[in-house]
Amino acid sequence: MSFVDTMLSALSSFEMNYTVLLLIAVTIPGLIIFLIMTVNAIVMVYMERKISAFMQDRLGPMEVGLFGFKGGKRFWGGIGQTIADAIKLLAKEDIIPKNADRFMMMLAPFIIFIASFLTFVGVPLSENFLISNFNIGILYILAMSSVGVIGIILAGWSSNNKWSLYGAMRAAAQIISYEIPIALTLLLPVIISGGLDVHTIVDWQLQNRWLILHSPFTFIAFFIFFISGIAETNRTPFDIPEAESELVAGWMTEYSGFRWSLFFLSEYTNMLIISLVASFVFLGGWGSPLTIINLIPGDYMYLDGPVWGLFWLLFKAIVLIFIMMWFRWTFPRLRVDQLMYLCWKVFIPFAIFNMLAVGIWEVLF
Amino acid sequence: MREYFSNIVGGIQSFWKGLSLTFKHIKNKKDLVATLQYPNEKWPIPERNIGFNLSEYNVIKSKLHVDMDDCIGCLMCERACPVDCIKIDIIKPPKDSGFDCGKTSFGTQKKLVVPRFTIDMSECMYCNLCVYPCPEECIYMVGGPNEDKHEIDYEFSQYTRDGLIFEFADVTDEDILTVGGGEYIKNREEKKRRIEEGKSLNGKEILPVINKQSEEGTATTSKAPSNKPDFSVVNEIEDRVTRATAKKAFTLKFKEKASFQEISDYVKLTLEENGKYTSDLDDIIKRISEMTTSDAADSKDPESTLAGEEITHKSFNDLENKMQRGIVKKIFIGEKKKGLGDLDILKTIRVELKTKEMLDDQAKELLKKLMLQSVKPKKAPKTQSDIFDLKQLNGIEDKMTRGLAKKTYTKSKRDGKKSADILADIEKELQSSEKLTDDVVAVISVIRESI
Repeated sequence: MSFVDTMLSALSSFEMNYTVLLLIAVTIPGLIIFLIMTVNAIVMVYMERKISAFMQDRLGPMEVGLFGFKGGKRFWGGIGQTIADAIKLLAKEDIIPKNADRFMMMLAPFIIFIASFLTFVGVPLSENFLISNFNIGILYILAMSSVGVIGIILAGWSSNNKWSLYGAMRAAAQIISYEIPIALTLLLPVIISGGLDVHTIVDWQLQNRWLILHSPFTFIAFFIFFISGIAETNRTPFDIPEAESELVAGWMTEYSGFRWSLFFLSEYTNMLIISLVASFVFLGGWGSPLTIINLIPGDYMYLDGPVWGLFWLLFKAIVLIFIMMWFRWTFPRLRVDQLMYLCWKVFIPFAIFNMLAVGIWEVLF
Repeated sequence: MREYFSNIVGGIQSFWKGLSLTFKHIKNKKDLVATLQYPNEKWPIPERNIGFNLSEYNVIKSKLHVDMDDCIGCLMCERACPVDCIKIDIIKPPKDSGFDCGKTSFGTQKKLVVPRFTIDMSECMYCNLCVYPCPEECIYMVGGPNEDKHEIDYEFSQYTRDGLIFEFADVTDEDILTVGGGEYIKNREEKKRRIEEGKSLNGKEILPVINKQSEEGTATTSKAPSNKPDFSVVNEIEDRVTRATAKKAFTLKFKEKASFQEISDYVKLTLEENGKYTSDLDDIIKRISEMTTSDAADSKDPESTLAGEEITHKSFNDLENKMQRGIVKKIFIGEKKKGLGDLDILKTIRVELKTKEMLDDQAKELLKKLMLQSVKPKKAPKTQSDIFDLKQLNGIEDKMTRGLAKKTYTKSKRDGKKSADILADIEKELQSSEKLTDDVVAVISVIRESI
């Protein structure tokens, strides 16, 4: 049962025109997704700034408060900083260079934004909070997450700037390369659970065990998936498309104001999507982690259920996002050749071997 | 093959090593964070040590300080200051007041009250010259030989530039009043108000607005025919297109020298033709029909032809240079025939004289005088006689309140308001400054009844 279906059945009692009904049933989830994206970006930016500051023995934003509340005096201050930054971004001038391809440059951010927006449609937040329940769920997520590359190339090309173009080329090369290990690792859950559907995969994990603990091969697959996912979102250490020290800001160089904030928004949304996918494919989805420990028998102690499901899934996602940030502020940027080495010579062979091994494992056990 | 796997193992190891290093930092952030949140936290000042102990070498000059108890108000330091950063006001108590100013720590009897002793530390250049003349040794630099008296404030940074002006005087307003400093307080408040007023302008300059009415008045007194249609009524139409249509019709008929009744009919017709006519415009059209030509209006008003304010070619008879006088008169009469306003004519004369290099001081003075005369708004003696006397406000006891009330009175009077309005203004002003006590209300109500 997806969210749109629930909306439709709830609204059908009003005896409206079916077109209007469908429009309402699609608009409301759309707004909810947008709200989630915005709140996610605001919270994640604050989290990122704080974590990076603490890792570098700084304090991060400390001055801007929210509703008169400044946060802790010593460490968790400045909670209004990202909101102030967001307002500042929206108020900035929207600059488009004279020699840029105007139409394409204006279009590109929206393509990137829509790509991450559409990906979100297939990503569950809880057992019943899945905007649209495709029976090819994972395939849909994979397909939609690669739409963003078009926007990136468009942005880089239309900016008419060498850094933008270099950044876009690198981004395209990187994202297309890392699609392969992601697809190969996402095949393992499909082989094991026997379905592409989100519910099938998670239900299998809830009945048996988390996929990360299923076999040594799925354990390795999780890391391959997660690291490739970081590369997909163009974050450090895989941030050669926007390497500040070489390319200014890569394909975002010529953008400012609202359009740049769309890039920003979709980047942080992609982070959330990768973390959510990793948690529902490998980490038991909306199931409570307490079932693994299994100290006290009895279902009611595991804090399972629709609301707890939302909490557990978001909790897992946030832990993964923290790990992403941890990576970012720990590792230096990879060189282009190192990046390709990691993808083509390490991840893909291992992923193929994993697939084979999991096939045999499934036949044997 | 072996290298390949050892690379992977090495990669994972270094991966883990790096992560654990950064996690150590985030775990121990309380001890490791090096940031000092400056205005809230400060480093302790290290103890001063120049290696040996000799008072001559201890020459710290942190900031000027005045021990106000010892100050006798002799102004010696103010005079000594080369940059005038010290400002002192003094009041001498009258002999019969019996006010005791106190004694200094040297035992000198103080004879003056010091209501203001400010030192602007942003101007001070630390020359120390004010310190030597002080007979009571009450002004000195903090630090150095005086380091025991005060703790040295190394930053004394402020959020505004005004913050660096330090006020040392500690006399209360009550004391100032008892020694007869009412005038002083009044001046001080006035100065404060004017500074506030200046701040609210935000650096903009308000140009004196030339009273349009008076300009027209002077123009008509000189019997110049006014060819310009008066749009003041038509301008009240809000819709832009309608207004333009109405103006067009108005001008057309006006140029034909039609009467205002005809004009109004024509305007109405035009508006109806264009489909812009609504019942809201009835009032405006009626008012157009009731308008009179400015010439007729002026002939009815004898006061507008006050002899003293009229500018004719005879006004220039004061000029001594014959040539100059001739030129000026010629220009004046010529321009007047063109129907220009006095101010414009005077300006032309000025420009003309300047080009002929005949603009001497006398001509300048005269032109300035005449310009002022032409711009000055006409006084309306009728309304003035209606206004109650200023002395009636003397019933207010509190000095400050009375001052404020009188100020408002003069201001409103200048604006040409009636008695009732002036009283309302006074009440409003006092209310806003929270001085409207019951006594004042009583006084005002008495005045109101007497009108």
